[in-house]
Amino acid sequence: MQLTFDHVTHTYQPGSPFQATAIRDISLTIGSGEFTALIGHTGSGKSTLAQHMNALLSPTEGRVLLDGRDINEKGVSKRDVRQRIGLVFQYAETQLFEETVAKDVAFGPKNLGLSPEETDTRVREALERVGLSYADIAERSPFELSGGQMRRVAIAGVIAMRPEMLVLDEPAAGLDPLGRQEIMALVQGFHRAGTTVVMISHSMDDVAETARRIIVMDQGKLTMDGTPEAIFADAERLVELDLDVPQTCRMSLELRRTWPDFPMCVRADEAYEALLTRLKGGKAHA
Amino acid sequence: MLNNITLGQYYPLKSVVHALDPRVKILLLIAYIAGVFIVPDLTGFVLVVLYLALACKLSKLPFRLLIKGLKPLRFILIFTCILNLFFTGGETPLLNLGFATLTREGLINAVRYSLRLIFLVLGSSLLTLTTAPVTLTDGLERLLSPLKVLHFPAHEMAMMMTIALRFIPTLLEEADKIMKAQSARGADFESGRLFERAKAMVPLLVPLFVSAFRRAGDLAMAMEARCYHGGEGRTRLHILKVEKRDWIAILITAVFIALVILEPHFVPWHL
Ligand SMILES: Nc1ncnc2c1ncn2[C@@H]1O[C@H](COP(=O)(O)OP(=O)(O)O)[C@@H](O)[C@H]1O
Ligand SMILES: [Mg+2]
Repeated sequence: MQLTFDHVTHTYQPGSPFQATAIRDISLTIGSGEFTALIGHTGSGKSTLAQHMNALLSPTEGRVLLDGRDINEKGVSKRDVRQRIGLVFQYAETQLFEETVAKDVAFGPKNLGLSPEETDTRVREALERVGLSYADIAERSPFELSGGQMRRVAIAGVIAMRPEMLVLDEPAAGLDPLGRQEIMALVQGFHRAGTTVVMISHSMDDVAETARRIIVMDQGKLTMDGTPEAIFADAERLVELDLDVPQTCRMSLELRRTWPDFPMCVRADEAYEALLTRLKGGKAHA
Repeated sequence: MLNNITLGQYYPLKSVVHALDPRVKILLLIAYIAGVFIVPDLTGFVLVVLYLALACKLSKLPFRLLIKGLKPLRFILIFTCILNLFFTGGETPLLNLGFATLTREGLINAVRYSLRLIFLVLGSSLLTLTTAPVTLTDGLERLLSPLKVLHFPAHEMAMMMTIALRFIPTLLEEADKIMKAQSARGADFESGRLFERAKAMVPLLVPLFVSAFRRAGDLAMAMEARCYHGGEGRTRLHILKVEKRDWIAILITAVFIALVILEPHFVPWHL
């Protein structure tokens, strides 16, 4: 599976006084098995970009290609595209509507025309995959769950379609630290199980721990694209874009005052190893 | 998906018409409508055209926007024409169709009533296109506030309208988002027969209601937290003031009304 953006521009409400170009001339390719993070200031066009990935929005200019085929072409089934590329919206719990959790999660599979037996299998599997117990939760109303649980049920609703690629728009927004950690662990789990992941996030720390590739958006343009190490090495640039660097990177920079050759560590375990080596080496003196 | 719906069709521009005091604009619209209704003969509509053209020019609005407002009116217009053409009666037959007779009076009536309708809608559109909905309700509140002596809840009415108007775009945005989220799960809002389509709205409407109720609760709480207690003794952020341009607009409209009334006296023919 390969998803390609070919010079994509999107303008909301063209020709009206409220016309706004949200993304400009975006070209990028996302391949199978990647874990890509999409970061950028509020209003930089991340959500707009994400909604182009499964043809919810179509480009004003340019094309979006899935395995070489334009997904907005006449003959292409939108439903197929949306099955293959699942999109979890920001505050996804607002989309829950059914009487029971099981029925809500079944909405996607039913729309795909699957048999009741297959739908049931998918529902069980999806709830299991988001860490909820089918027996406990299936027959409850989604509206009586906690915020974090509702979010997970909503994610299950997308997972139940067994997408090859999962796009998540700020999946941890508005959750408490524990809920946040749980969601991040889930997303990492999906990736490990073979799903291609694109995650929009505000939290540099979450991104640093999980992503293998980072795309930075600024005012509708794609401004940086690379490995976390490469992106966070350019801390000044990120600060210019009103973005932060992860705490691990900030710590690495601080430690360079003592050890000028201390490596730029992105993940916490790397930082731990590097620090341990220095301390054992006994070269430390403050 | 929903961005082609423009509710509260306000078209923000910088123009004298946009800047007029909303109270004055509402009163001028009433005067204009009265003018359109007392136009004595077809020649008088020339004055209406001139007045409206001036207002449109000053407002800087693209003309096609005004015309677009007439589109929902087309069936009523056709209906009015047919009714008047054939059922007016009158002395001067122009054409005998067998089942009905077309008369001179019928023709004139058809044209007159159609023009009245058209100019009525054009004038009202001009008001809603050049005035933000919230400004409009503000103006309405002030105009209705003398009725408070009769215990008419002018402030409460206006506040309810303002809040409703304020939340229409928010709810539309929300509806758009939920629609997209359900489409991402394979929902189809566009095809199917009537019953299927109605059923397809459930996944949109339930979340929309849930969110509307939550928003209403939050808003009520926020208003109470800031000591809102109704209209009594409340001061205003935007104080409406009648300025020079308002007086000029009033003057122009007065001249327009006077000309409409006097028109039969200085035009020799009557159509
Ligand atoms: N439905 C819409 N109609 C008009 N403008 C929009 C709409 N959605 C987003 N925008 C505008 O597009 C820009 C990018 O928005 P968005 O993609 O939501 O950014 P982000 O997700 O990075 O915060 C913003 O300036 C926003 O105001
Ligand atoms: Mg966003």
